[in-house]
Amino acid sequence: MAVKKTYCVAGHLFSLSLEEGDNTWDSLANYEPFVVSGTGEVLFSLELVQGFEMSGKRDLYLSKPETMEQRIDIYTVDGGYLFELAPFGHQDISGRMIVSGDFSAGRLTTVSDKVFCINNALMLLYAFRTAALDTIEIHASCVVNEGKGFLFLGKSGTGKSTHSRLWLKNIPGSRLLNDDNPVIRIVDGVPRVFGTPWSGKTPCYIARDFPVGAIVRINRAPHDAIHRMEVIDAFASLYSSSSGLRAIKSVADGLFATVSAVVEKVPSYLLDCLPDDNAAIVCSKEVIGHG
Amino acid sequence: MRIKDGFALRSIAGHHIVIGEGVAQVDFKKMVSMNDSAAYLWNNVEGKDFTVEDLANLLTDKYDVTYEKAFSAASEVAARWIEAGVVAR
Repeated sequence: MAVKKTYCVAGHLFSLSLEEGDNTWDSLANYEPFVVSGTGEVLFSLELVQGFEMSGKRDLYLSKPETMEQRIDIYTVDGGYLFELAPFGHQDISGRMIVSGDFSAGRLTTVSDKVFCINNALMLLYAFRTAALDTIEIHASCVVNEGKGFLFLGKSGTGKSTHSRLWLKNIPGSRLLNDDNPVIRIVDGVPRVFGTPWSGKTPCYIARDFPVGAIVRINRAPHDAIHRMEVIDAFASLYSSSSGLRAIKSVADGLFATVSAVVEKVPSYLLDCLPDDNAAIVCSKEVIGHG
Repeated sequence: MRIKDGFALRSIAGHHIVIGEGVAQVDFKKMVSMNDSAAYLWNNVEGKDFTVEDLANLLTDKYDVTYEKAFSAASEVAARWIEAGVVAR
């Protein structure tokens, strides 16, 4: 008898089932703020299993991770997809997930790093399943100020989280909404940013949402300066920071539609900056009030 | 020459852009922007083998230009596509 919990992230319901007696729930506290009771219809479900059968395995997307990056390899199999996961590129596979062709049902089996596998399996299912539903998972850090969400994008190591911290320290009324993977969903024509159970190394799991005020790409530079991006550059910026495998047409179409709608509705900026207090001041001065 | 697999022409806010969406293009971050006539050419040669002459003929079919001018414009477009890596010779 499995134990199942249902969660709601950005208005989308999904469920996770673990076998009875599995104490992994204790390590999944990041999901607790998103628990919903009752039995609404879920968009997708993830079930932990001992193993599964599959046939017809063919390469779809093989990551070539650096040693310290996570591994996500994707294959097509009869009736759906197979994902192979590991926390680090040099490591053996920690978990395998088999997913139905419409991403509505995943079954996961793990040999190590179980919590990592569950988190990544759910993030992948979420990104793929909601791609056609005006929803995108963004690799970003997000602060809230004056009732609006400000997202900071950038390549790994450019200082997204650092910039959020600089807002918390220097810009009164700022609070962190999510530090790694917030979700943007267009609701009644308005792009809103939602907290999620996925926040990287910062425990910040907030089941709240706010209209997006601005999207800011962080670029390390020897000075602090900000300028508004043209819509086409804004598109490139947000698209490259959105999760979802472009090789699957329904996912690519959904991503394109959502990202282009978002950048037409909210302003995007490029912030050249140092990791200093002044960067947050320069940035907030420009973006607050433009939302 | 031929458009490589996995590149799609999309329109956003009146701009035409080509973005990589195929398996081989998962890590393709660069976008190629196009004007209306380049987008027209792209739509007409997608999925086919084509030459600069084919592009020139497409231009003279649609626009009121001499073949020489069309050929020169077509050569430039083809060179840009090849340079951007979205078309293979």
